Amino acid sequence: MQRIVGQRASASFEKQFRQREAILEAVQEHLFPQGNDLPSAKTMKMTAFLFDTMKHASFDKDIKAFVLEGAKELDSREKGKFLAMTQSQKEASLRDYETTRYGSAWLSRIMTLSMEALFCDPIYGSNVAEAGWKFVGSDGGFPRPQTKYLGV
Amino acid sequence: MYDVVIIGSGASGGAVAYTLCKAGYKVAVLEKGRLLNRKDFSKDELAYCRRDLITPNLFDEYHTIDEKIEGKWVSKPTYVSGWSFWNGNVVGGSSNFMSGMLHRLHPDDFRLKSKYGDIEGANIVDWPISYEELEPYYALSEELVGISGHYQAHPFEPKRSTPNFSQPPTKENAVVKLLDKSCRALSITPLVTPRAVLSQNKAGRDACYYSNLCGSYGCSSGAKGSSREALIQPALATGNLTLITNAHVKSLHSEAKDSVKYAVVIDTITGKEKHIEGKIFVVAAQAHESARLLLNSHNKYHPSGLGNSSGEVGKNLIFSGGGSGQGELHKADLKEIKFDELMTTGLFVNRSVLDWYFIDDWWDGKFKGGSVEFMFEHQNLINRARKDNEVDGKLVWGKALGGHVKERLQTQKSIRFEIFNDWLPHDDCFVSLDEKHKDKYGMPVGKLRVEGHPQDVKVGEYIATKCEKILEEMGAKNIYSGVSSSPPSNLIAGGCRFGNDPKTSVLNKYCQSHDVSNLFIADGSFMPTGGSVAYTWTIYANAFRVADHIVGVLKKLT
Repeated sequence: MQRIVGQRASASFEKQFRQREAILEAVQEHLFPQGNDLPSAKTMKMTAFLFDTMKHASFDKDIKAFVLEGAKELDSREKGKFLAMTQSQKEASLRDYETTRYGSAWLSRIMTLSMEALFCDPIYGSNVAEAGWKFVGSDGGFPRPQTKYLGV
Repeated sequence: MYDVVIIGSGASGGAVAYTLCKAGYKVAVLEKGRLLNRKDFSKDELAYCRRDLITPNLFDEYHTIDEKIEGKWVSKPTYVSGWSFWNGNVVGGSSNFMSGMLHRLHPDDFRLKSKYGDIEGANIVDWPISYEELEPYYALSEELVGISGHYQAHPFEPKRSTPNFSQPPTKENAVVKLLDKSCRALSITPLVTPRAVLSQNKAGRDACYYSNLCGSYGCSSGAKGSSREALIQPALATGNLTLITNAHVKSLHSEAKDSVKYAVVIDTITGKEKHIEGKIFVVAAQAHESARLLLNSHNKYHPSGLGNSSGEVGKNLIFSGGGSGQGELHKADLKEIKFDELMTTGLFVNRSVLDWYFIDDWWDGKFKGGSVEFMFEHQNLINRARKDNEVDGKLVWGKALGGHVKERLQTQKSIRFEIFNDWLPHDDCFVSLDEKHKDKYGMPVGKLRVEGHPQDVKVGEYIATKCEKILEEMGAKNIYSGVSSSPPSNLIAGGCRFGNDPKTSVLNKYCQSHDVSNLFIADGSFMPTGGSVAYTWTIYANAFRVADHIVGVLKKLT
């Protein structure tokens, strides 16, 4: 029974995530753009990491809901036009969102989760070719994990 | 039936298991978590430091915390606050993840009331044993656990029965030259920190390999003196230990007033319940959970909780008072040492200050103070990259982010201090059973009231001011410190005090229940006062002392 409930919750999460994936991806790519020394959201596969890590049982379900709701709120504030905005329009939109307490907390959370993608062990599918570690001259520490999330 | 059933495999459970197994007794250790070994202890920041994988998910198992709102106590579940009071639910417990900066208590910590008298609003009592009675066990645990260091005479350093540590200190970062010089310039004496990390190979355990990520991580060389590595593994090697993992103890069942018959155990994987019988039961589940287990084990003989005729079970819970602070050592302003030396990874800071353990200040007066540990800011990458990532209240992102991260990680290193002072026991710091909330096994969760005493903050602030001056002398920038009455959830003791009077204490001087003769509590629950250092060495030492007594009890039974 518990397994069936878990499967339903997982399917529901995936559906909700896919509905907001484009806007989450756009925000991450704005925070970590291409064309700089710092590895970008795109090359580090940060949005895929976001999905995978939030799907895992160890992820806090309140934070998971907040990430999804915050994306919905951004979309709603911009009346569905965020994705079509230019870079400078996106910058203005996110800075304006940041002036609200809710928006500030949400952007902070997206930044934290994106930093996790940039500096976690590549076994999680991001920090591709250790690019995040190389950027700051780190080897990440040894030994390296052989399984994700301690095999849980 | 086992000779002894131990609930919990952390520092105290390991010490008792080791002693009894070596003495030839059949022991079962019931550990709620699973077994992780050296091969599992990677430096996976995501798994070990950013997700609940070595502690229960707070939505499954939690505590409730009392908060005073508009004059009334209101309890809030920790799954709402995210404030976890679980510490390493795996074999070896939180000792796997400690930084290992350990000190013995001072002889006057055993007689705080006699030495300093009452403090208004605090429930201070002397211990029923002296430092001299515990000293042989401090020495024993130093050897068995593997504590490296270098003894230097100091007025507040307790006397030792051996002249020095058998292992020299772990290797040190060059920053100690700057730290030592700065301390001496201020007439402060820096001491080498005793550390539960091997600097040399020892009996199947490899010396420290200076991974740069020690505290919060398990050790893959066996150098760290965790209960799992130093005690449980050798106990298993005797053939006398049955280690039962994924075993959550719901309650202890009694069929007579003065004894426990069996532990009611849930297999956390299958959900099946079983009963494990023993001649003697030793509770070692960490202070707040040990008290909860006794309260949840109430029966017709003990209606207010097992061994609780005094009404003291759960009372006078203590944490560690104090706070912390840090400052940045920048490449441009660095004195005494080269920047490359400072940035060398892995090596320890290994410095403590005991000068303010007892304070006699011409202005502030005489009072019990505390100890200080120096260390680098934790070297976790995600945490450091994310920290201070704001300018004028706005997140740094986009083109500016790369430079900001590089500057944070590559042009400075933060030096940090942590203050440990007494958390005074008092009436508003205790654990009881929550009347509404139950865990997933149907048992009432622990409700914690964790108020600090005003004196704790006063002491912490006194010492923090001194420590900030050390950082200033070192040339650090952006120095700050914080002292709070909020407790650190990883340093918990008290709740089942030991003492000579059954009316005012739960345990006798051997940590045996006054009410139930085959019940012992070996973890930090026994401590009436906590001293001004991390508890771990004292918990190891006392558990060895208790175990010796249990050997004597078992000899009489046979």
